[in-house]
Amino acid sequence: MAKVKVATDWLAACAGCHMSVLDMDERLVQLLDKIELTSTPITDLKHPPKEGVTVGILTGAISNTTNIEVAKQMRERCQILIALGDCAVFGGIVTMRNFFDMNEALKRAYVETESTVDGKIPCSEELGRPVRVCAVNQVVKVDIHIPGCPPSPDAIYYALSELLEGRIPVLTGDNLKYD
Amino acid sequence: MATVNIKINGQQIQARAGATLLEAAKEAGIDIPTLCHHPALANIGACRVCLVEVAKQRTLQPACTFPISEGMEVETESPKAVEARKFVLEMLFSERNHYCMYCEMSGDCELQALAYRYGLDHWTYPSPHAKMPVDGTRKYFIMDHNRCILCRRCIRACSDLVANHTLGVRFRGAKTMISADMDVPFGDSTCVSCGTCLQVCPTGALVDRKSAYMGREVHVEHTASACTFCAVGCGTSVVTRAGHVLRVEGDWDAPNQGVLCVAGRFEPLYDRRERITSPMLRKGNGLVPVSWDEALGAIAAKAKGNSGKKAAAYVTGKALNDTLGEFLRVFQGKMQATVGTVEPTLADLDLPVGGSLADVDAADCILVAGGDPLATHRVLGYRVKRALDKGARLLVVTDKPNGMLPLAHRKFGMAQLDEAVKVCQGSAAPVVIYGGDLDKASARKLATLVGKARFIPLFPASNGYRARELGLKNGFSANGLKVLYLLLGDAELPDEAVKEARRAAFLVVHAAYKSAATDVADVVLPAPLWYEQEGSFTALDGRKVAVKPAVAAPEGMLAEAAVLARLAERL
Ligand code: SF4
Ligand code: SF4
Ligand code: SF4
Ligand code: SF4
Ligand code: FES
Repeated sequence: MAKVKVATDWLAACAGCHMSVLDMDERLVQLLDKIELTSTPITDLKHPPKEGVTVGILTGAISNTTNIEVAKQMRERCQILIALGDCAVFGGIVTMRNFFDMNEALKRAYVETESTVDGKIPCSEELGRPVRVCAVNQVVKVDIHIPGCPPSPDAIYYALSELLEGRIPVLTGDNLKYD
Repeated sequence: MATVNIKINGQQIQARAGATLLEAAKEAGIDIPTLCHHPALANIGACRVCLVEVAKQRTLQPACTFPISEGMEVETESPKAVEARKFVLEMLFSERNHYCMYCEMSGDCELQALAYRYGLDHWTYPSPHAKMPVDGTRKYFIMDHNRCILCRRCIRACSDLVANHTLGVRFRGAKTMISADMDVPFGDSTCVSCGTCLQVCPTGALVDRKSAYMGREVHVEHTASACTFCAVGCGTSVVTRAGHVLRVEGDWDAPNQGVLCVAGRFEPLYDRRERITSPMLRKGNGLVPVSWDEALGAIAAKAKGNSGKKAAAYVTGKALNDTLGEFLRVFQGKMQATVGTVEPTLADLDLPVGGSLADVDAADCILVAGGDPLATHRVLGYRVKRALDKGARLLVVTDKPNGMLPLAHRKFGMAQLDEAVKVCQGSAAPVVIYGGDLDKASARKLATLVGKARFIPLFPASNGYRARELGLKNGFSANGLKVLYLLLGDAELPDEAVKEARRAAFLVVHAAYKSAATDVADVVLPAPLWYEQEGSFTALDGRKVAVKPAVAAPEGMLAEAAVLARLAERL
């Protein structure tokens, strides 16, 4: 049987959720018998292939216009979209920024950080513009939500295994966590 | 008991008439989720998490306030009820900052637990917008309005349990906020930092500074004990982790009904006094650490030739019952020394004891004379305020400033005590609360109420009741003493008393903390702290309350009674 194609990408994320994917350890190797990871931010190919994948996984919140583009591209190129982690599911820790004025936040990040010397707020046209931080489902339709900061490897393994069995995963017990 | 027959989830139940649906379900072992409900507080039906489907009712009904009636049929987990519940939960999550991953309460939060229970894996509504303030103006705990779900448990705790009436709400709708008094910072308000609101808050809105991020329920241990900081003897649950006390909570099932005061809940955890960890003996000009054997040997050597009038021993009225017993056996029994307490025991007043918090609850007239429960026995003071809320009258007799005065229906000077007594005589269930500012003559006037009123003594020390029972009195003279033994525990001696004590030729101070008294002592013996002790004391109402060690005492520490027993062996 052909392998199920899976692509992942990250938005405004800390990489913790992708670490949790790797933390599936040998179970990840088992999964790779059945799935093909076409692209991830931590492998050579970064973007989901044009011809599309069955499962797309997004970690991180929507925090700028680039995130919106990445989320839309993933949505277009996958059949089932998973929002993985609190940032993708709720906006998560990134939403802390919403409680401050944007300029205040940018200044704090690029100028006032203790380790910064002669800091400047980046203003290149090529960069995405910051937007109000929100969950992925506020921008594109999400089919499966796996909260957690990060979600446990068990929860991720469970969700992918259920999908491979043709079932929509329903998280319960220790698999459903917000922290 | 009148009962009615109802059906919950198909199960036929006979329940007490007049019960709420929630109570009836609980009795039958059926769990209906709740959030604003708290067993110690009146139900107000604010959160709508307990909505259930009641046959023939047009809309879903909150189980916590809905009274049962004959033949009622209820479904608690019907699709309609569950859908409504999930909707309520989602609204609560999306209203304010309920990002659990950086919330102190995560893991023990009742809102989070419900969301898990109902499988909430995302929110349909956009995330919260409003930035609410965080009030950190109180010393011991913080209010983060962003985590508040407006369940109003804190308001009810403050008003109904503590009768302090500090909390209320300001604004309406989504802007509603818990506020103090006429909307002042909590630290500037009438709040007395009893921490009862902190204890009932279901979310991370009220956060204890000391134990924040130090561990959740799964990490900590609870030890049921009693507060040793005044004679009310409130039941406590001491929360510890890895040998450290994180927090003290009030025991809901004890007479204090979960309520504590600042002196029992917070202050002991902020005690910065230097601990005495080893026996010490004066050698040359300084105190040097020695073994128990050497320290006790030195005391015994001085004590042997100096029994009777030449020796005296005073103990704090905070000492536990077995310490007091051993104290008398050694010093009175073996040494025939003069014995007494460091604090007054109110024995001279010769007034009855035995009145309790329950008597205050039932009182229609409360006479406070010669003491201020709101300053020294605060939970008793709160109970008096509760009784006033229910209509009792308060008479305060004092010549000094007194925290009860602003609440008094009538105020009297000591010279007018007779008048106050007369008012009491005309009431049905009077309670007299008396303290050490009374003189014997006034006490005799109060005594005319014996048989009519219940009497509650404001013992200055937590075990004053037992000390009085044992005939111990305070009164302190070191004149001509060859040996003086002071058992202070964690109590401290006023400066004049230290000066007086030092007049003794040989001074032993048995104490938990370094103080002016230990500084001048010839021998210093270490004593365990409140959370390391095991035993009991007798609260002001005569109840024997158990004190349990929540944390093991440091290596080499001995219980006070054990030290006295070892000393006795050498005499
Ligand atoms: S959910 Fe947590 S672990 Fe995942 S990207 Fe966000 S902050 Fe990192
Ligand atoms: S502070 Fe806590 S107890 Fe008070 S209303 Fe808010 S959530 Fe409820
Ligand atoms: S600490 Fe006590 S007095 Fe202060 S607001 Fe809370 S319940 Fe009221
Ligand atoms: S009233 Fe007394 S026993 Fe109760 S908490 Fe306060 S100090 Fe402790
Ligand atoms: S628990 Fe019934 S309405 Fe809140």
